[in-house]
Amino acid sequence: MTAQKLEKLQEQVKKLDSISTAPVILQPLLEILRMPAEKISFDKVVELVSYDGAIAAQCLRMANSPLFGCREVETVRAAVMALGLQRVRSMLFGLCINRVIPKDKWVFEPVAFWRHSLGCALVTQRMAQRIGYAEPEKAYLGGLLHDLGILVNSLLCTKDFRKCLQSATEQRRALHLCEEEILGFTHCESGKMLAEHWGLPRDLSDVAYGHHNVELLPAPQPLVCLVHLGDLLCRVRYLGYGYDEIMGMELGGELAWQTLAKTHPALADMDLARFTMDIDGAMEQIVATVDAVFGTAQSAASK
Amino acid sequence: MSAGRQEPHAGKQGPAKDTTMAIEAAKAMPTAIPEPVSSDPAYLKIRDLIYRMSGIYQPEEKLYLLVSRSARRMSVVGAKTASEYLEHLTLRGNRDAELRLLLNEITIGETYMFRSPPHLEALRNVILPQIVQAKSAMGFKRLRFWNAGCSTGEEPYTLAMFLLEESEKLLAGWSFDILATDLNDNSLEAAKAGIYGEYALRNTSELLRRKYFKVHDEKRLQVTDQLKSQIRFDRVNLSDDSKMVFLKGMDVIFCCNVLIYFDLASKRRVVQHFYSNLLPNGYLFLGHAESLFQVDDTFRLVHFPGATAYCKALAGAAGGGKK
Repeated sequence: MTAQKLEKLQEQVKKLDSISTAPVILQPLLEILRMPAEKISFDKVVELVSYDGAIAAQCLRMANSPLFGCREVETVRAAVMALGLQRVRSMLFGLCINRVIPKDKWVFEPVAFWRHSLGCALVTQRMAQRIGYAEPEKAYLGGLLHDLGILVNSLLCTKDFRKCLQSATEQRRALHLCEEEILGFTHCESGKMLAEHWGLPRDLSDVAYGHHNVELLPAPQPLVCLVHLGDLLCRVRYLGYGYDEIMGMELGGELAWQTLAKTHPALADMDLARFTMDIDGAMEQIVATVDAVFGTAQSAASK
Repeated sequence: MSAGRQEPHAGKQGPAKDTTMAIEAAKAMPTAIPEPVSSDPAYLKIRDLIYRMSGIYQPEEKLYLLVSRSARRMSVVGAKTASEYLEHLTLRGNRDAELRLLLNEITIGETYMFRSPPHLEALRNVILPQIVQAKSAMGFKRLRFWNAGCSTGEEPYTLAMFLLEESEKLLAGWSFDILATDLNDNSLEAAKAGIYGEYALRNTSELLRRKYFKVHDEKRLQVTDQLKSQIRFDRVNLSDDSKMVFLKGMDVIFCCNVLIYFDLASKRRVVQHFYSNLLPNGYLFLGHAESLFQVDDTFRLVHFPGATAYCKALAGAAGGGKK
């Protein structure tokens, strides 16, 4: 990407504040996303959830669903407790973003986008736990936020970004390769800009930047490598961007895998076939969870 | 996208007025989330035992399948709980026979035509283009497939139909051999006869039925002679080293739910044979719930959309789609 295009994109990202109508809870929510998990205030999250009727309703609906085994949750506080801070945090973020982007600007089906983002969060976290990565919560957040650039591209270059998706769908190729050709930049670059603009921690902006190509970063980082692998695994288990990509890959041959194996020897002993079957098993629940939150809720949330 | 100007007054702002109504509405809303399966933790032990002994795996969310399949065996042996049945599988004298009977239950009804479209998609989109390109460069125009453990023929006939359909596209100008082998003479006879009912044909389109089948009787169809002629059926015992060493030059081997019945040492030997039987960059497909973990580390596990396969390739050499 040329320096000129980069500069222009940066300017546009900075101007996003003035063109979008973000929900009032987005800013305090971003503060929560910036915090380490152990410092998040339970009361603050309950307050944020309570502030918005539709979000509170979603929380209760989730907490009362059989997935969480709770059927008599009647208060927001109890719902947040039943669901857990991590789940509520991603739900809040998702519902907020659904409102930030007007319906006519969504290039992806929002449900497909959230299936992939939440799927990637869960797969990356599972993998992190499996190999003894020190911050599985961070891995979850990395997975959830890795595609921020898709939101930027949807908002800032809706028409051309539609062409990218169309081209990727027709050719059954990876989206970022079509972005490079049509936009001259990818959602990795725009995602990094938004992450920085929002003041998210450096490692998360690195994830947004390097999740398709860990070599873009000066030194490959375990978190970026994890999300890279989580993203690939989701895309080969039908949790991709909502179209059928042609893919065939050996994860063990990926630079991300080899890099991660150096710092996390457990990776070398990981039963990847079994892990993949576990993902297959969890997929129904991932899809059902996302559909429950973002599918039927979408009409209410995007008002 | 920042919301700085609209931030709520944290601590002062109460819940929205419509929260109560929304809560009431939410409580009445149906949910799409499936009922979780509550099960005895002993089933997890049974699951892990099966995986260790056979390489076949059931993820936790699909454990209900194992529960229902175990139920049949449990009633036969008179085990009232999963823990009791686990004893039958681990401590009793006939534990090996019982495990085999349980595996039969688990894999029962696994065979029908076009059972695994992701395998065929992987062949069409990645594997065949790779092999065709590599072989073309060497002047070859022939492909070799082996269905090891073809049972009553559903899998090799599926492959034959798939390859014939591709003959006018991807494989124009190419020829192919399909070797279909099994140990069981009755299965082989049924495969050669090629007569199938609705269950075996449930995933076969009308178009393909018309093209590759003829009516046998009221309820069954029979494969045409043209389709039969694409396949060579043979009796092969995968443990017979003297026969295995001669089956060379394969591009792709399918061996679904067969290795699960072998002990670890025999399984290793068979898989090593498969490795030798395959050409470089050839692929081995197993059943969708099977794995070679701790059986073999020479093959490379390759992921395709909805499928995995094992490739005889150097690290990083597998795969065709850009990421």
